[in-house]
Amino acid sequence: MSLAAEAFVSQMAAAEPWPESATLYQPLKEDQILLSDCASSLAVQAYLRMCGLPVQVVCKSNAEYMSPSGKIPFIHVGNQVVSELGPIVQFTKAKGNSLSDGLDDVQRAEMKAYMELVNNMLLTAELYIQWCDDATAAEISRPRYSSPYSWPLSNILAYQKQWEVRRKMNAIGWGGKTLEQVYEDVTQCCQALSQRLGTQPFFFNKQPTELDALVFGHLFTILTTRLTSTELAERIKSYSNLLSFCRRIEQTYFEDKSS
Amino acid sequence: MAAAMELRCWGGDWGLPSVHTESLIVLAYAKFSGAKVTVSPIDWTWRTLTGTVPELLCGDVAVQEPTQILNFLRKQRFNADYELSARQGADTMAYIALLEERLRPALLHSFWVDAENYVNLTRPWFASRSPFPLNFFVPGRLASIALSRILLTKGEAPLHRITEVEGKLYSDAKECLNLLSYRLGTATYFFGNSPTSLDAFVFGFLAPLYKAGLPSSPLQSHLQQLHNLTSFCDNILALYFNSEHPCPPPPVQESMDANLQKLTQLVNKESNLIEKMDDNLRSSPQHKPHRAEPKPSLASEKNFTPA
Repeated sequence: MSLAAEAFVSQMAAAEPWPESATLYQPLKEDQILLSDCASSLAVQAYLRMCGLPVQVVCKSNAEYMSPSGKIPFIHVGNQVVSELGPIVQFTKAKGNSLSDGLDDVQRAEMKAYMELVNNMLLTAELYIQWCDDATAAEISRPRYSSPYSWPLSNILAYQKQWEVRRKMNAIGWGGKTLEQVYEDVTQCCQALSQRLGTQPFFFNKQPTELDALVFGHLFTILTTRLTSTELAERIKSYSNLLSFCRRIEQTYFEDKSS
Repeated sequence: MAAAMELRCWGGDWGLPSVHTESLIVLAYAKFSGAKVTVSPIDWTWRTLTGTVPELLCGDVAVQEPTQILNFLRKQRFNADYELSARQGADTMAYIALLEERLRPALLHSFWVDAENYVNLTRPWFASRSPFPLNFFVPGRLASIALSRILLTKGEAPLHRITEVEGKLYSDAKECLNLLSYRLGTATYFFGNSPTSLDAFVFGFLAPLYKAGLPSSPLQSHLQQLHNLTSFCDNILALYFNSEHPCPPPPVQESMDANLQKLTQLVNKESNLIEKMDDNLRSSPQHKPHRAEPKPSLASEKNFTPA
């Protein structure tokens, strides 16, 4: 989203309260959505639940093309459409809902730094495994990604997406990495998150922040998604405090609602 | 001890040992950890085209990329981080990720994509350091790598146009600078009294932006207002890259080091003060005092308070 549009949106946002009819769009849950998109979508849902903002999840096969930035997920609130966690956090803040107001400047710097760590390591690793590991790409990613479309469009779109992700990996220097090195990066990232969390219930003690939502979205999705190999989930399972962190957020924010 | 280590990197200018961020990170870390590294600049050789910089050569081993090189140096027992707790190690990773995601795209844009800076500063510099006929080719190649990296990581599908992301890049980068400034506070280094790998990374990212004579850069003027970050760079340059003291104080003499640092800080503060007084004297009453506020950085920081 451009800066002008962003400023406009936050101006507009302040004017109206959060409507009941807010919707979150994501690709089809059963047949289409991929690990990385599912993680980002879950992070936004967790964030909105932590804020106490109701949102209805709608699955659309063309969600990626509906999103203003081409990224999953996006929310449709009143007259506005906002995509991705960062802008959505700003958007809710303009509406008067913020989780990180209680933090001081240094803590906020730390929170942003750890959020970038998750994006830089976990999200990139998910994309790498989906599209650069040949077995996963052939068995899971390409068939699922192209499931709503018929041949030959399905092949064209899937290979186009794979080509795009691989170019990105080459640009950031991940192109030459092996799968083992990527797993090693994931381990290091989890180690850092686990150290930072320690024995606290949330990253900044009692109060959940957007960092908690982001970490939960990624870890929970990795733990509950079946891939060609269980290696990725196994790497996370060795950190018991991260596991209980995921369980805690799931129980607090996701199970109460359904019951 | 291991065989002699040789580091290939871009040469220095603008008062810096190297103008290249990654090279600067490795150089700074080598100084911090006391590793003896022979620097061999690739300037005026065909390696400007074929080589990957920075590259550390140790016997038969060749290591590339700053993170890998730093790991390699740690394995050779040149460790600047051994005093860090696990939690501080985690923080180091997080802040490095912050630099990579928020600051790097804007830095690449400032040096390689912004037309005025590229034509007046970056292209002439890299062309003058490349041998004929590569001088016609190397700068353009580096610029297109930089542009495609920005577009692929920050561009928005489906069009990937640079003008749409420029504003976002710079506001992200300014926010990142503010966050670093908050985190550093009044300390000399990010963790305790001695520099660590995070200091090497921050120095590598900030120093070129601080020292380069960019004709147009909102980011550079923003950095210059964050006095603790600029004096952080000055301090490292004075302590570790001063040509009068080619051998930096090894990490063993920490107590002496700390005193020296305090002294440098004091001197820096004093010279800042003198500069300010000078400015005040120079600005005659009919001119607007352009440094009216005691700390313009604070005022501007408020505007960029993270959302």
